[in-house]
Amino acid sequence: MNTQWILDIYVPIISIVFIIAVTLYIIRVLKGPTVPDMVLSIDCLGYDLAVFIGLLSLYYGTSFLIIGSLMIALWAFIFDLYISKYFLKKELGE
Amino acid sequence: MLIVEEIVLGLGLVLITIGAICDLLASIGLNKFPNFYVRMHAATIGTIGGAVIPLIGVGLVALVSDQLGTYKYMVFGVSIITALLIMIASPTGTHILANAAHKAKLAPVQPKVVDKLEEAEEK
Repeated sequence: MNTQWILDIYVPIISIVFIIAVTLYIIRVLKGPTVPDMVLSIDCLGYDLAVFIGLLSLYYGTSFLIIGSLMIALWAFIFDLYISKYFLKKELGE
Repeated sequence: MLIVEEIVLGLGLVLITIGAICDLLASIGLNKFPNFYVRMHAATIGTIGGAVIPLIGVGLVALVSDQLGTYKYMVFGVSIITALLIMIASPTGTHILANAAHKAKLAPVQPKVVDKLEEAEEK
């Protein structure tokens, strides 16, 4: 069935909640007293962005935006790994 | 047949709403909690409750959206794969970050009750 009319109403309303959450995450990124706090916030921000891209893909009715969601989820994980290695060894490796 | 599609659509929208509420609670908790190790609890709500559950909801909504054409199965599949990937990758990343931050002594345990890992390393 055609669900475009439901999504036209639903996605802008739910986007407000996501944008408030992203704003609070960004406050913690800018304010964070230590570096691991900032990394944790950017991690949450990245996974949040993956969901937001999925919602935009439904809203605009195109299927190619959803590929970016997979890449952003992988990027946030790789970011964690490299920052942790830098904390322990003080180098990023070859 | 139409009833089943409406139930799936409603379930997807409810899952996205639960995810948005979890995300809001996690961002408030990340700003209110006192130190890094307590903030990791809020980060877990923000990644599992705020990313895995709404991505499954996006997949269910895409499964009944006929305006996407045949590509609705592609949106469904990629959403479910991303949800499973986040479910595996996010706890791994958080644990490895906490381990590194504790070993490098970057995040002080400021309102401290007990720190068994520090006591074990001192021995």
